[in-house]
Amino acid sequence: MSDLQLEIKHLIIEALGLEDMEAADIGADLPLFGEGLGLDSVDALELGLAIQKRFGIKIDAEAKDTREHFANVASLAAFVAARQSA
Amino acid sequence: MHFRIEQWRAWAPGLESLDDWRTWCAAPVRVADGQQQPDVSFLPAMQRRRLSRLARMLFQVAWPLAEAYPALPLIFASRHGETPRTLAILGDLARDEPLSPTQFSLSVHNAIIGQWSILRGDTSEMTAVAAAGDGLEHAMLEASMLLGEGAPAVLLVIAEEAPPAVYAPYIDDVPFPYAVALLLTPGDDWHLQLCTGAGQQAEWPHPLSLLRALCSGQPTLVHHWKNRQWLWSHNKA
Repeated sequence: MSDLQLEIKHLIIEALGLEDMEAADIGADLPLFGEGLGLDSVDALELGLAIQKRFGIKIDAEAKDTREHFANVASLAAFVAARQSA
Repeated sequence: MHFRIEQWRAWAPGLESLDDWRTWCAAPVRVADGQQQPDVSFLPAMQRRRLSRLARMLFQVAWPLAEAYPALPLIFASRHGETPRTLAILGDLARDEPLSPTQFSLSVHNAIIGQWSILRGDTSEMTAVAAAGDGLEHAMLEASMLLGEGAPAVLLVIAEEAPPAVYAPYIDDVPFPYAVALLLTPGDDWHLQLCTGAGQQAEWPHPLSLLRALCSGQPTLVHHWKNRQWLWSHNKA
């Protein structure tokens, strides 16, 4: 597990107030929304905001591939890494 | 208006059990707020994570009273509401930062009853009231109308959160955070009447004065707010 993945897991727990949960409980390929972690649409907005603030990147909520980037921690980390190096 | 107070529950920092409240009612004091959180562990973690302390206060006092009723109308009254959330949003605006969607969506006055409705799966009529120092009596008026319409029971919750420090000089009617829940049913036990008349403001918020009357068996209460005089009387049949 990369440091970036771990940082994103902590960010998810902190930004979404996931009481009683630790980074180890969120697998890198666990689906974040619906089945899996069970996040909802308000979480999607909140997490998008937290990612933008923490990593200083812009996220287009309307873009088609945004949904894929937010599928799980692994895809989110890959997305952040790509944006940061761009 | 007339009604029966079937059951009551209350919460404040350090005051949780009925015995705690009996002791407080006999010798009321300003309790210290150590930022204790009301216990809502009966809700799954994913459901309770967005509940503010004010919301947790409502759930803590109201949930056990609602258990016997799959459908129960709710009146929620709070003069100040979610001031910590609105202050956080105003701070973000002042710093030119984007607003938290969660904070924003839960800052409105009826957000807590919305969460209650979702988590209980109850789509009964629910009302959020923001009244001044006699919010309890205005909430009673709402509840009485529902009972008059035929509701078998109505849940009334009145709650106040401690104001953030920046508002504290302007808020003098929240000695400490508190929540009071009343399960009301049709009946003739209590009468509540509105008259015109000025008088001294009660020492404690009206809901806490009512609890003291319920604990001690005091048969009448007179509550003043501005030019409104509310007369509570218990009918000892």
